[in-house]
Amino acid sequence: MASSSALSFDLAGGADTIVALATPAGHGALAVVRLSGADTLKIATGLCPGLDPTASWKAQLTQVQCGDGLPDERAVAIVYEGPRSYTGEDMLEITVHGSPALTQAVIGACVGLGCRPARPGEFTRRAVANGKMDVAQAEGVAELIAAETAWQLRVAQTQVRGELSARVAAARRLLIGLLARIEGELDLAAQGVAAGAGELAAERGKALAEVEGLLATSRAGERIRDGLRLVILGAPNSGKSTLFNRLLRRQRAIVSAHPGTTRDVLEAEVEIGGVRVVLADTAGLRESPDKVEQEGVRRAEAAAATADAIVLLHDATVSVSPPAGWDPGGRPWLGVLTKTDLVAGVVAGDEEWVAASLLTGDGWGAFEERLHALVSQEIGETDGAVAVNRRHAVGLAAARDELLAVRFGEPEVAAECVRAAIQHLGEVIGDVSSDEVLDAVFARFCVGK
Amino acid sequence: MAPQPDLVVVGAGHAGCEAALGAARMGARVVVVTLRRDTVAQMPCNPAMGGIGKGHLMAEIDALGGVQAWAADRAGLQFRVLNRSRGAAVWGPRVQCDKARYSLLMLRLLERARNISLIEGEAVGLIGGGGRIEGLRLGDGRRVTGRAVLLTTGTFLGGLLHTGDERRDGGRFGEPASHGLGRDLAGLGLELRRYKTGTPPRLHRDSLDYARLREQRGDESPLPFSWRTREVRNRVSCWVTRTPPLVRTIVNENLDRSPLYSGRIAGTGPRYCPSIEDKVVRFPDHEEHTVFLEPEGLTTPSVYVNGLSTSLPRDVQERIVHAVPGLERACFLRHGYAVEYDVVAAVQVGRTLRVRGLDNLYLAGQVLGTSGYEEAAAQGLLAGVNAILEGRSREPLCLGREEAYIGVLIDDLITRDHREPYRMMTSRAEHRLLLGVDSARERLMARGVALGLVPERAFHVERRRWKARDRVAAALESERVNSDNETAAALLDLAGVDLRRATTWAALLRRPDLEAGAVAARIPGLAELSDEDRSVVVSRLRYAGYLERHQRERERVRRLRARRIPETLLAGGAPGLSREVAELLAHHQPATLADAEQLPGMTPAAMAILAGRVASEGRKTGAGGDPGG
Repeated sequence: MASSSALSFDLAGGADTIVALATPAGHGALAVVRLSGADTLKIATGLCPGLDPTASWKAQLTQVQCGDGLPDERAVAIVYEGPRSYTGEDMLEITVHGSPALTQAVIGACVGLGCRPARPGEFTRRAVANGKMDVAQAEGVAELIAAETAWQLRVAQTQVRGELSARVAAARRLLIGLLARIEGELDLAAQGVAAGAGELAAERGKALAEVEGLLATSRAGERIRDGLRLVILGAPNSGKSTLFNRLLRRQRAIVSAHPGTTRDVLEAEVEIGGVRVVLADTAGLRESPDKVEQEGVRRAEAAAATADAIVLLHDATVSVSPPAGWDPGGRPWLGVLTKTDLVAGVVAGDEEWVAASLLTGDGWGAFEERLHALVSQEIGETDGAVAVNRRHAVGLAAARDELLAVRFGEPEVAAECVRAAIQHLGEVIGDVSSDEVLDAVFARFCVGK
Repeated sequence: MAPQPDLVVVGAGHAGCEAALGAARMGARVVVVTLRRDTVAQMPCNPAMGGIGKGHLMAEIDALGGVQAWAADRAGLQFRVLNRSRGAAVWGPRVQCDKARYSLLMLRLLERARNISLIEGEAVGLIGGGGRIEGLRLGDGRRVTGRAVLLTTGTFLGGLLHTGDERRDGGRFGEPASHGLGRDLAGLGLELRRYKTGTPPRLHRDSLDYARLREQRGDESPLPFSWRTREVRNRVSCWVTRTPPLVRTIVNENLDRSPLYSGRIAGTGPRYCPSIEDKVVRFPDHEEHTVFLEPEGLTTPSVYVNGLSTSLPRDVQERIVHAVPGLERACFLRHGYAVEYDVVAAVQVGRTLRVRGLDNLYLAGQVLGTSGYEEAAAQGLLAGVNAILEGRSREPLCLGREEAYIGVLIDDLITRDHREPYRMMTSRAEHRLLLGVDSARERLMARGVALGLVPERAFHVERRRWKARDRVAAALESERVNSDNETAAALLDLAGVDLRRATTWAALLRRPDLEAGAVAARIPGLAELSDEDRSVVVSRLRYAGYLERHQRERERVRRLRARRIPETLLAGGAPGLSREVAELLAHHQPATLADAEQLPGMTPAAMAILAGRVASEGRKTGAGGDPGG
């Protein structure tokens, strides 16, 4: 009975006018306070007397009445008349000096005039409710705001533009057509209307190919969003810490805190080749002189187990050619023969190895090239910067499984499978029947988004 | 003075008969008004009942205690189950009837029923006002009053018959249309629409060239439709042929002479029962169309030409028919025609088929925009029963779409604004796998007993059968296949199945690549069941995972429907609800969502908002909100 129109109404949170700070908290030159809802224009003129509420999409220099005995504050305000606005409702964005006390006062004044403080993600939620974007695009907005690396940005932009949605919608339409033909055959068999089994299978094949194509990007999606874990291994003194530090200086460090997963390993995040990389230096496993070396080896192996990719260092002064028979445990890896400045005649020889001096920088170029190539390879296919996230992958995989279960010889069951597949695909782009899923999507947003 | 009738039924078609007979069996006094006694329960179009979708409705009417299936069995000439080779959920039992006999059977039932009075007359107007209908005015001046009135006027309201250029007033071939009632309905504020439906020519059976036709017989061991019938027999064959490409040409050349295409008929026609004009225009690349020739009765030479519904002029019809192999010298007993008629937009009635806003006026059948005898009968039964129940202030009979095709039918009618004649198809049911004809009695027979329409004894007989079936099914789930025994060896042969890995019989039958039908007859337990029961058990086994999914959904819908509406919502309304609806809620204080739905003026959109609100309130408080108990 609860249709998506009812849910979309629920999404909209009713008719309240909401207000929130749209820029990050703290001090800054400028801050933006954002309002959305049916009473926005009325509140706007109450907040900023002299503001022209009909001048949509025009920046106006105005005075904000902050109340509470405070003097009026100069501000730039832009009115957006619905539906030509982010949320589809009437909106107001006021830019003021980025003072926490000031923004508090402005928001307080808005609340006094009849606004309610917005919940996390509420603006974007309303945008979805009003049909300005679908759920996948909304997720894209959250990812765009959170993007720290080039690939994260690229994927987020593609998703916000609706490219993922368009492909899923296309596959869904294919299936709706297929369902109609299966149903038609079932219901109208008596009147001699039949679809050839070959045609039906071809339609199913097309949809399945599209779904599997999208699913194939999920590995890339995971790596891009969660980061690639690159572990540096090697015997003591092979130059691990030097490499770690050098990568940190050379590549762009990612400053925001993402907690490390183990305390035995020194970690940092950098962007390599546009990809978020979690660098792990097992040199942090300080072998104290009285520890047994096996323990160190064990810890290193444990660290290697969590790796998506490995850089293995070998001290060339110990032996001039790379050690043979090392097992990367199925992981892609790159070997570096270090300290070439101290040894002559080092030949990398093998395909996986480069020779370099971390001290002098000799061979560093070749190393970086190989490292970038390794990282790119590990992202895998993104198919035009469309890379599905975990929620999408679950829905797509469910749709794929249903499609694989279709047997045209049992059309009533085939219809069930196709119907279920259509529903799963619908949920990816936002025909979401579960409020819990919607709550989860929008909880990721900050207030003001 | 005689006590007032509990129900006055206008029209003695399929809807009217079910309503009258159902109400009468509940002990009510019923008056039936019909234009002519001898046209009771006519089958003006196809001589067959049932099929896919319609057969599902029939089985449910039968399970509830209605009469259509019984009468069809008694008048049946040929019995076939469509899709018999497929799973049970899509079986479509179909029976072709002797039309005259069918009509006579129903007339006798009406005449013999002690508390039914059958009146010949034309209803020309309604009497009443202020939210209540007092009764009817008849053409001859008589007045008929009753506690409740049910209109089942079929295609008679404002009926116009079209054959080519000819147009005449009429509700059906040879019968006049009715005009006064339509005006009164419009006067009550009801929106009327114009629909059309067509019927093919009838040919003389002795003028067909059978050598050039393909024979189609009934099922080998035909199954009775109704639980009341012990056995049935096939008595006739049907014949099949195809229209040649020449017919396509003839139709195309004459489209301007077709009332539909020349714009003379304003009404919208059924999409799934297309006329030959429709078929040629919509499927231009189909060179041939199948035609079925169906005898209309044992005592009539009339043969129904299934697949050539049309309102083209007579001469064009003759050219078309004579171009078809086997029909070169066919004689016309009657030419095809179209009828244009008024229907009441069904969103204006509630779930009990009572007109919203009125206390005691009901509508059922083709007048609500459906097409088909079975759709009409289902509504008739529901409306008749509910007129009596509501009159006695008892809980009405409401079926959800997760319970029955009748539920799907009613729900579709009152919540989706259809603009063309509505015909039941299995694709309309989300829960098709749960609603096969095989489960109709399990789902609905108990209700029939509770209503007094089904004798307890019959119910117990059926129930024993289901229980036996369920016992066999349960055993199959737990017994492991004994790979030593003879049966297993035979299975290996039959199905090429390797039985070395021990498995249960059920798991074996579920294997996708297995021809379950061939194997099932040899399995202990299944072998002792009838063919039909065995197929049902196997189907349900194979549907198992999907059935569970549907049952969960069915439960969810039931719980939601029974949800209490919080008082805050009733008092304060909810954003998005119109003021009218908010006032309605505050005034009537419906306890549950189901109650809210019954309120006059309640719209589908408002229901959706209300349901969404109740669901989210429920989540916030963590309460299920189910009514006590």
